Amino acid sequence: MNNQKPMDIVQAGLAKRYKKEKRFKLIGLSAIIFSLMFLVFLFSSIFLNGYKAFYQAELRIDVFFDPALLDIKDPASANFDALVKKSLRTTFPDVKKRKEKKKLYGLVSTDGSFQLRDMVLADPALVGQNRSVWLLADDDVDMLMKGYIDRNLPQSDRRISDVQIGWIDKLIDAGRVKFRFNIGFFTNGDSREPESAGILGAAMGSFYMLAITLVLSFPIGIGAAIYLEEFAAKNRITDIIEVNINNLAAVPSIVFGLLGLAVFLNFFHLPRSAPLVGGLVLFLMTLPTIIITGRVALQSVPPSIREAALGVGASKMQAVLHHVLPLAMPGMLTGAIIGMARALGESAPLLMIGMVAFIVDIPAGITDPATALPVQIYLWADSPERAFVERTSAAIMVLLTFLVLMNGTAVYLRSKFERRW
Amino acid sequence: MLQILSSNTPRSTAKSREERIQSKARMLVDREDRCTAGDPFVENPRMSCRNVNVYYGDKQAIRDVSIDISENEVLAMIGPSGCGKSTFLRCLNRMNDTINICRVTGELKLDDSDIYDKKMDVVPLRARVGMVFQKPNPFPKSIYDNIAYGPTIHGLAATKTELTEIVEISLIKAGLWDEVKDRLDQPGTGLSGGQQQRLCIARAIAVGPEVILMDEPCSALDPIATATIEELISELKQHYTIVIVTHNMQQAARVSQRTAYFHLGDLLEVSQTDVLFTRPSHQLTEDYITGRFG
Amino acid sequence: MLKKTVSIITAAVITGAAITATVAGARDYVSIVGSSTVYPFATTVAEQFGKSTKFSTPKVESTGSGGGLKLFCSGIGVSHPDITNASRRIKKSEYDKCQANGIKDIIEVKVGYDGIVLANSRKSAPMKLTRKDIFLALARQVPDAESGKLVDNPYKTWKEVNPSLPDIKIEVLGPPPTSGTRDAFAELAMEGGAKTFADMSALCKAKGDEVKPLMTKLGIPESGFNKKGKKVFQHIAHSIREDGAYIEAGENDNLIVQKLEANPKSLGIFGFSFLDQNEDKVQGSEIDGHMPTFEGISDGSYPVSRPLFFYVKKDHVSVIPGIKGYLAEFTSDKAWGEEGYLADKGMIPMPIEERAKFAADVKKLTPLVLQ
Ligand SMILES: Nc1ncnc2c1ncn2[C@@H]1O[C@H](COP(=O)(O)OP(=O)(O)O)[C@@H](O)[C@H]1O
Ligand SMILES: [Mg+2]
Repeated sequence: MNNQKPMDIVQAGLAKRYKKEKRFKLIGLSAIIFSLMFLVFLFSSIFLNGYKAFYQAELRIDVFFDPALLDIKDPASANFDALVKKSLRTTFPDVKKRKEKKKLYGLVSTDGSFQLRDMVLADPALVGQNRSVWLLADDDVDMLMKGYIDRNLPQSDRRISDVQIGWIDKLIDAGRVKFRFNIGFFTNGDSREPESAGILGAAMGSFYMLAITLVLSFPIGIGAAIYLEEFAAKNRITDIIEVNINNLAAVPSIVFGLLGLAVFLNFFHLPRSAPLVGGLVLFLMTLPTIIITGRVALQSVPPSIREAALGVGASKMQAVLHHVLPLAMPGMLTGAIIGMARALGESAPLLMIGMVAFIVDIPAGITDPATALPVQIYLWADSPERAFVERTSAAIMVLLTFLVLMNGTAVYLRSKFERRW
Repeated sequence: MLQILSSNTPRSTAKSREERIQSKARMLVDREDRCTAGDPFVENPRMSCRNVNVYYGDKQAIRDVSIDISENEVLAMIGPSGCGKSTFLRCLNRMNDTINICRVTGELKLDDSDIYDKKMDVVPLRARVGMVFQKPNPFPKSIYDNIAYGPTIHGLAATKTELTEIVEISLIKAGLWDEVKDRLDQPGTGLSGGQQQRLCIARAIAVGPEVILMDEPCSALDPIATATIEELISELKQHYTIVIVTHNMQQAARVSQRTAYFHLGDLLEVSQTDVLFTRPSHQLTEDYITGRFG
Repeated sequence: MLKKTVSIITAAVITGAAITATVAGARDYVSIVGSSTVYPFATTVAEQFGKSTKFSTPKVESTGSGGGLKLFCSGIGVSHPDITNASRRIKKSEYDKCQANGIKDIIEVKVGYDGIVLANSRKSAPMKLTRKDIFLALARQVPDAESGKLVDNPYKTWKEVNPSLPDIKIEVLGPPPTSGTRDAFAELAMEGGAKTFADMSALCKAKGDEVKPLMTKLGIPESGFNKKGKKVFQHIAHSIREDGAYIEAGENDNLIVQKLEANPKSLGIFGFSFLDQNEDKVQGSEIDGHMPTFEGISDGSYPVSRPLFFYVKKDHVSVIPGIKGYLAEFTSDKAWGEEGYLADKGMIPMPIEERAKFAADVKKLTPLVLQ
């Protein structure tokens, strides 16, 4: 045709080819940067909203453990509320009016009386003594201290009045206000008082549920995957089963909640709000995912390994258990952890089985009433008290931490299994 | 000769040599393009195959193959790619069972037992008829465990010492002992390609097979490793019956006593190796070995 | 190895679960379900009760009034809740279902009031509305200014609704139909507004033969006929426009507060407790001359308020430990009194006489009788 050498034609087209490649790289890179930006935005907004929840204002009040108020024989049932109020009155002796007194009492959390009770129960010798005690501040005081309440607004427009701010300033000047690390957030159950609300109850609920989910869905899911992949005859019936499993994996989670309600609560009469039922529901929900990822993991094991085992006379079962399964395990674990992570973040199906509930006591077993972390987040997000806003973000941080830990475990387990060559 | 013929193998008595030669002649006449030229049958064979057909679904991969394999011989199978060598080889220890759509008809016997009998247990069969694959496929375990796996599942060793002994003997037989004796606990996958293939041979030997099937064992190896394996095969033929598929005609000439030529699913010719390479009886065989196609 | 341990654990868990499930015949905590409006108050009482006594803290589920009563009336026994909260009174049909399922004695406790407010951002001027304005702004169909026949809501701005109102677009964020707040809003604000039209008011009272002529007068198609004029009336008064002026903002009232801040021109509908907690951000609108204040709701002058209830199964009181104590805590002055902690949470207490009556009923466990 023309007298160009092939190399010249190649050269001519080269610039265009590189340009194409560059453009593709650029698109990929910008997609990643874009999503990373969202992630950073999301995480930083959660963090900025929530980090203040990890510390908490406290007030130092002088308490005289008045024997007149505290019955020595039965201190548990004594009126500690009155003790808190009396101590506040002695700290601010010039507060006389009834309305003002009520405002004064509002500075200390309603949890303050339980704090004093626990002190006396731990050390009955306190009765009759004078002590300076750090008590939890009310959530409104906490919000003021953290700068969420604007002092410059007219008094009628904020939840904390001018006199109260005056008292707080006095306390601050006297060194009677401090922030401390909010241990209660990690050791308490839910509470209507934001200052004493914690996530341990919900975390334990999630833990019990996930334990049940994992213990049931992993062996059953892996077993089913092995059977379907290695042993079942490939025919119409297995095709139908496979289609159904794929469909189940895509069923909205609320449907599993309805199923749980019908089967576990109404038919088997298992207790409402129990992690046992939650775990069973989430087990049904994650099972298809685990079966599917399990099968993919088995498929990805090179057939040469199977042949090698069969070639020396291993039975099919031995070939699978001794050689294929260990190689498929990392993939299966990843699938299981992804399933677990999804289960951890699930709240819709739990609504149906009564786990969207206010539960203060920390569950001690799989049949105790419990909620889960995402449910706790949902409940707090819906609470009117301003201080729950930061706690919601803090709880999200905790949930994200758990997810990161789970994924970290997955990566660790994978590398551990893979190191066995 | 006569003595062997009148010995107690039922087939030999049922079908005299005369008859067999006659039937062969008939085949040659009737279906010249289809029959097997040369010398497919032997007296007192270790394995015998008659009218074997293999189908993958509707597609036929092996057509009416009949051949005998005698004790302690090395039988080479050559032929162009896709002619069914591997397929046929894998019939000999029922490795084709793993392929769902694969169907085998005809008669295959190891000694006197029918390989494709319903009652035939593939586990001991594969212990008796071991296999070495084209691509070295050691288990992702230690060298020791690779060899010990077979004897362990078959319960061949009563004690740990016995097991270690089996491992050592197998490695010595496979000519690998000197290279790996100091690192038995290291991964088998960390060896070089040639070493891996010898490891796989040692693994096959460890369960004490009678027949070893090798499917292009050297095709993934460099010439030096290939030479080592060829040497090893020459050693092994004293104790084992070996069937080897190869693409390399020099290799077939070097290691085998007899050579079979497959062509598009047909077994065209089986002859003594020197005969096949010098005076092939089939035109297609000649074309192939002289490099006119393939 | 791994396989074995896993299967052993599985077996252990399943048998364990089976055992606990059969053992779970007893329940040592009070189980409460029901309204999301009462939820913040019930949970506060539950927590106080749990912390100050040796009993377990009652479990409170937020299922909505209807959902709660459904669960409540499904039977007697530990697997059914002991108490249900409601932001409306129990219906006859629900009461009958309870009776049919063996729940003979139900104790009704009115706990206080909740106000529903229309609020906007503090960045804008406060609104002075009437219930008529609200109805005209939000109903799907309103009586035409001239013919008096019902037409699709033509109003786009508040000024069109009422010349004394500002000339801004009607944009109201409110709860979806599944919410109790929405029910109450429709009943109290929308019905109240609809009744300011003579024909509508007459329709509400009409029965039997009187209904048809009123319907023709208002231009309501025959298909909407019902013997009880009230039903026809309610259907119109409760239908909220779907042309974008009313925006369903989900059940989360906090979200509505946030959206009002972002869009100062819009109004939001939510419970009084959210106004109480967010007074620095949003302001309540005056309705029929009354501000949504604590006092206004308590004395009944603020029109859009509703009573809150809970219902107790009498048969459970002696069986489930803690019910009596919970009832005593709820009906104590330190909880539901004027100065009580529930008032701090935004509940509006009843007058002292009403409190005394219900406290006495609770003490005697007087069951509710619906004719
Ligand atoms: N698993 C299989 N499924 C379907 N067809 C196959 C399969 N394996 C081999 N075949 C077909 O069978 C024929 C013989 O293949 P093979 O025995 O592998 O040839 P060779 O080893 O002689 O190169 C080829 O046509 C090939 O396409
Ligand atoms: Mg091949």
